[in-house]
Amino acid sequence: MNRRNRELLASPYFIWSIGFTVIPLIVILRYAFTTAGGTFTLENILAIGNAINRKAFLFSLEIALICTLLCVLLAYPLVMVVRRLHISRRAFMLFFLILPMWMNFILRLLAWQMILSSNGILNFILQAIGLKPLDIANTWAAIIIGVVYDYFPFMMLPIFNAIADIEEDVIEAAKDLGAGPLTVFTKVIFPLSIPGLKSGITIVFVPSMTSFVVADILGGGKLQLIGNIIEQEFTRSSNWNLGSGLSVALMVFVFISMAFTIKDDVVREEPELARVEGSDKPDRRERAA
Amino acid sequence: MDTILELQNISKSFDGKPIIKELNLEIYKNEFITLLGPSGCGKSTLLRIIGGFETPDTGRVLFDGKDITNLSPDKRRLHTVFQKYSLFPHYDVADNIAFGLKLKKKDKAYIEDKVQYALRLVNMEGFEHRKPNSLSGGQQQRVAIARAIVNEPEVLLLDEPLGALDLKLRQEMQRELMKIKKEVGITFIYVTHDQSEALTMSDRIIVMNQGIIQQMGDPKSIYDEPQNAFVADFIGESNIIDGIMLRDYLVQIQGVDIPCVDIGFKPNEKVDVVIRPEDLSIVEPGRGFTIGRVMEVIYQGAYYDIRVACGDFEWAIQSNNPAMPGSMVGLSILPENIQIMHKPRSSDEQIIEKN
Ligand SMILES: Nc1ncnc2c1ncn2[C@@H]1O[C@H](COP(=O)(O)OP(=O)(O)OP(=O)(O)O)[C@@H](O)[C@H]1O
Ligand SMILES: [Mg+2]
Repeated sequence: MNRRNRELLASPYFIWSIGFTVIPLIVILRYAFTTAGGTFTLENILAIGNAINRKAFLFSLEIALICTLLCVLLAYPLVMVVRRLHISRRAFMLFFLILPMWMNFILRLLAWQMILSSNGILNFILQAIGLKPLDIANTWAAIIIGVVYDYFPFMMLPIFNAIADIEEDVIEAAKDLGAGPLTVFTKVIFPLSIPGLKSGITIVFVPSMTSFVVADILGGGKLQLIGNIIEQEFTRSSNWNLGSGLSVALMVFVFISMAFTIKDDVVREEPELARVEGSDKPDRRERAA
Repeated sequence: MDTILELQNISKSFDGKPIIKELNLEIYKNEFITLLGPSGCGKSTLLRIIGGFETPDTGRVLFDGKDITNLSPDKRRLHTVFQKYSLFPHYDVADNIAFGLKLKKKDKAYIEDKVQYALRLVNMEGFEHRKPNSLSGGQQQRVAIARAIVNEPEVLLLDEPLGALDLKLRQEMQRELMKIKKEVGITFIYVTHDQSEALTMSDRIIVMNQGIIQQMGDPKSIYDEPQNAFVADFIGESNIIDGIMLRDYLVQIQGVDIPCVDIGFKPNEKVDVVIRPEDLSIVEPGRGFTIGRVMEVIYQGAYYDIRVACGDFEWAIQSNNPAMPGSMVGLSILPENIQIMHKPRSSDEQIIEKN
C-alpha cells in the first residue's frame, strides 16, 4: 500500500478531530477573548485570578497532584507483585483490575457515595468491629478516594507495560553485579519504567485536574473544583464568555505542565532513535517509502 | 592445582523433570573450563546454579571451600556474561561498565581508571558515551564482558556469549576472549554447544548430556579418545559402526577382522567402533579392510568430504584427494586410529553406568 492510500485511512479521524476538536476550540477561543457584546477583552482569562476562582483552581491542582501521587505510590508495588506472577495468573490479575472500568463512571461514583455516606457500608463495618464511624462523605478525602479509584488503572497499565517489557536477563545482570532488591528497583526497574510513568501521569493528572463530576457526587457540591465553576458558568449562569475564558486559562496551564513532563523525551531520546534507525536499519525507511 | 569451585552431588528438576543429575565437578583456579553439550542438556541450569540464580534440589556449591549454595547472586564473588548481552538500556557504555563499582562505592577516579582499562581490554575505547542500542551485537557483548571484568571477579561465567554473533565475528571474539583471559588471569567457566569453539578455547572440556557429565578432559583427549559413542558423535563427525570384539587387538566389522590396539573387552562382546573421517584413507579396491562404492564427493575447501557405501553402512571420509563418484574403492585404517567402545544396553546407558 502506498503512502497516499494509507493517509486516506486516517481521514475519518481527521474529519472527527476537525469537527469535534478544532472547530469547538476555535469557538471557545472566540468566546474567551470577547465580551457578551462581542468586543475584545482579556478579562475572561484573567478571571482565573480572582479569589473564588483561584481557590478552586488551587484546590483542583491539589486534588490532581495528590491523586497522581497516590496512584503512582499504589501502582508500583502492585506492578512489582503482578510482574512476578505466572503468565496465566498475571492476565487474571490485570483483568480483575480493569473490570471496574467496564462499569459506568457515574454508577461507580454513586456506589462510592453509598459506601462512604455517614450511615453507609463503611461506617456500618467500622461500628460492627467496634470502631468510631468516620465522617468522610462530602469531604476532600471522599473526592480523593473517588478520583484515585477512577484513574488508578490508567496509571497502573502503562507502568505495568513498561516494566513487563524489561528483560529478565537485565534484572539478573544487575543482581549479578551486586545489586540487592532495592537497588535493582531504583537503578534498573524504576528508570526503565519512566516512559510508562510519564504516560500514566499524563492520563491521570489532566482529567483529575479538570473533572467536576467527582466533586459533584462525592464532594456534595460544597467543595468546588475549577471544573465545577466552569461547568456552572455554562449551565447555570449561562456566561459562556467567562466559562470559555476559564477553560482556556486551565488549558494553558495543562499544556505548560505537560510540556514539562514530556520535554525530556523529545530532547533526549529522539536524536538517539534517529541515529540508530539511520545507521543500522536503513532498509526500514526504504520499505516505508 | 588449587580448587576454586566445587560442585557436590548437584541435582535439579523443573516441574518434576530431572535436568541435572547428581553432578560432581571440581573447577581449578585460572582454568578455562567449557561446559559443552547439546541444547537442553542443562548447561545453563548448571551455570545458573553456580551464579546463584537457581537453587539446586540437592547438593552443595563450594567457593574457596565455603558453602555458597544459598547465597544470593549479589553476594557471590563471580560474575556472569549472558547470551543476550543484557546491558542496561538507560545507561551509556561507561555507566554500564561502572555499575558494579558504583554499587561498591569506589571513588570516582578509581572508577574512571577502571572503566578506561576495561574499555581498552575489550577494544572499545571511545565508545564510553554511546547507548547500548546504538551498538552492534559484537560491541554489546564486549561491553558486557567489560562490565563483568571491571569488578575483578575470581570466576567469570559465560553462557554462550558468542551465540548470537555470525561466524567470522565469533571467531574473532574467541581469540579476543582468550587474550582477555590471559591478561586478567581468572577462572572462566564457559558454556557452549559449539564443539569447535570448545576445542579452540578451553583448557578443559566437560561434555554433558541429559544432565550427566559424559566425559571431561583437555580438548585433545576429548577429541582423540572419546569414551562413549555420544561424545564421539558430538565432538566432530564420526563413523560409528557396530562391531564384535573377537579378542584383544582384534575387532570384526561387517564380517571383516581388523587389527586394533584395544584390550580388556569380553571375548565376542558387541561394541561400538568409532573411526574419525580424517583417519580413513581411500585405496585401490582390495587393498583396504573393505570395499565400497563412492556415493558423493563434496569439496569443502581444505579437503574433500567423501561418502562411500559398504553394504548398509555409509562411511564418511575426509581426504585431500577427490574420488570418482560411482567408482569402487577400498578403505584403509591404522589400528591405533580405531576407537572401541562398550555398547549401551539401552539408550541412556551412559547414565546408568555413571551412577
Ligand atoms: N525455569 C525453568 N522452568 C522450567 N524448565 C526449565 C527452566 N529452566 C530450564 N528449564 C528446562 O531445563 C532444560 C535444560 O535447560 P538449560 O537452559 O539448562 O539447557 P541448555 O543446556 O543451556 O540448552 P541451550 O544450549 O539450548 O541453552 C530444558 O529442557 C529447559 O526447558
Ligand atoms: Mg543455555
